[in-house]
Amino acid sequence: MPRRWVPERGMAVSATVFQRKQIKRKAPRGFLRRVFKRQKPHLRLETRGDVLIHLNCLLFIHRLAEEARINTCENKCGIIKKDHVLAAAKVILKKSRG
Amino acid sequence: MPERVVKPAPAPQVAQPSRQESSRGSLELQLPELEPPPALAPVLLASGRRKQRLRLSVFQQQVDRGPQRLPLSQEPPGNPDASSLTSSLSLTFATPLQPESVRRPGLARRPPTRRAVDMGALLQDLQDNSLASVPLGDSLRTPVATQPTDTVLEDTQPFSQPLVGHSLNVHHSLPCPYPGPEGTEKAVRHRTQSSMPGLQNHMSEAGFATPSLPFLELQPGPPAPSEVTKAKRSQRALEPEDPEGSSGDEDISDRPASPESVSNVPEFLQAKQLDQFLEPAPSPDVAVLSSEPPEPVLARLPSRPRTGGPRPRQDPHKAGLSYYTKLFSFYAKMPMERKALEMVEKCLDKYLEHLCNDLEVFAAHAGRKTVKPEDLELLMRRQGLITDQVSLHVLVERHLPLEYRQLLIPCAFSGNSVFPAQ
Repeated sequence: MPRRWVPERGMAVSATVFQRKQIKRKAPRGFLRRVFKRQKPHLRLETRGDVLIHLNCLLFIHRLAEEARINTCENKCGIIKKDHVLAAAKVILKKSRG
Repeated sequence: MPERVVKPAPAPQVAQPSRQESSRGSLELQLPELEPPPALAPVLLASGRRKQRLRLSVFQQQVDRGPQRLPLSQEPPGNPDASSLTSSLSLTFATPLQPESVRRPGLARRPPTRRAVDMGALLQDLQDNSLASVPLGDSLRTPVATQPTDTVLEDTQPFSQPLVGHSLNVHHSLPCPYPGPEGTEKAVRHRTQSSMPGLQNHMSEAGFATPSLPFLELQPGPPAPSEVTKAKRSQRALEPEDPEGSSGDEDISDRPASPESVSNVPEFLQAKQLDQFLEPAPSPDVAVLSSEPPEPVLARLPSRPRTGGPRPRQDPHKAGLSYYTKLFSFYAKMPMERKALEMVEKCLDKYLEHLCNDLEVFAAHAGRKTVKPEDLELLMRRQGLITDQVSLHVLVERHLPLEYRQLLIPCAFSGNSVFPAQ
């Protein structure tokens, strides 16, 4: 079982606890790290940074799905089509330019 | 806690094997009688590995069960299902794999393929075997069955491949009475000869798993060839590299079930097919069949690397992206086209590119070469995700599971400690 550093409520000193948590909806941290390294090999990423990137992607996908659903319903379609997604992506990418 | 979770798992497993043991023990008593139906049932109960050879022969089954019986007998007799043996016999066919697999880890834990166990078929096979043993004595090949059986098997190995797949079909099709055994027998012979070259490559890999099998199986029965042919057909379907498969199909047109059974026949059931193969009369076929049991297992191996050969660079990338595309289809709550999902992947790629660029700019602006969570927070603020009303912690709490929340949101613990440290 992998040891994970988990702060125990009763102790002030950090202690490793045998924990084998099966996280549902795990973040693909390795994948995100690899993508970042491939894009910006000269930069480094912190430990918690990739979890936040994952959160960012989640929110992006969320907004994209919402927009695509709206587009589809406007066209009175029952299925999300490629052009719906494309139009939604244009809007959302512009919005999340940063 | 993980330990607690693990504990209850072995408990049911222990219960199951004990149950099997009791039923098996009761069934074992009938083994010496060589009664096919009761004998077969315990055999089926045998380990998952042995299930492949269950159908090979009654002897084989007994042999297999022998060594296994001893260690298992120590288990407390869980439940006496002896009374319902007959009923459980049919059940054992259906479910023996599962309890077996539970007891044995690893390979034995393979998911039981849909085995429409034909008790009647097995019985018939056994009867055929008993019948076949008589005519087999006449054949010239029988003397070969002894020591040189292995060598004979080697020669006939190439045949075994196509046969393996078919044997399963044969099993499934056993309930249907096979037509003209003589004609099918000849057809089988032709096929085995024709399929020899094709199988040779496969046979070379296969070892001789059970040397005892050859002469056990040397009881081909006249009705068996039809089964063999069927098995061959199924085998062919199973093994695409085998070119001989087509020849046999024409010969046996009376077995319509083979094509479907072929697709359904799992590879590890091929061992059972071997049993069928051995039953057919001609010794070359028999030899081929005897070599079958190792074949299916080994024949599988070459196919594996073929499928996993190409590892393009995109694969892990796509695998990572597929996580987000699944999320997309979940959030959208509407059916989607496949092209739309590919479009989503492209958009995500572009977005990640933009994201990295922005993070680089932010880090450079702060004079750093490492991207820190503060940069991420700034990015989200610029994107409009974080506002004065909605803070980062709120978003983290909403969308991330507990483990990540603990990582990201500093929380005070006793002893004047805060985790994560700020």
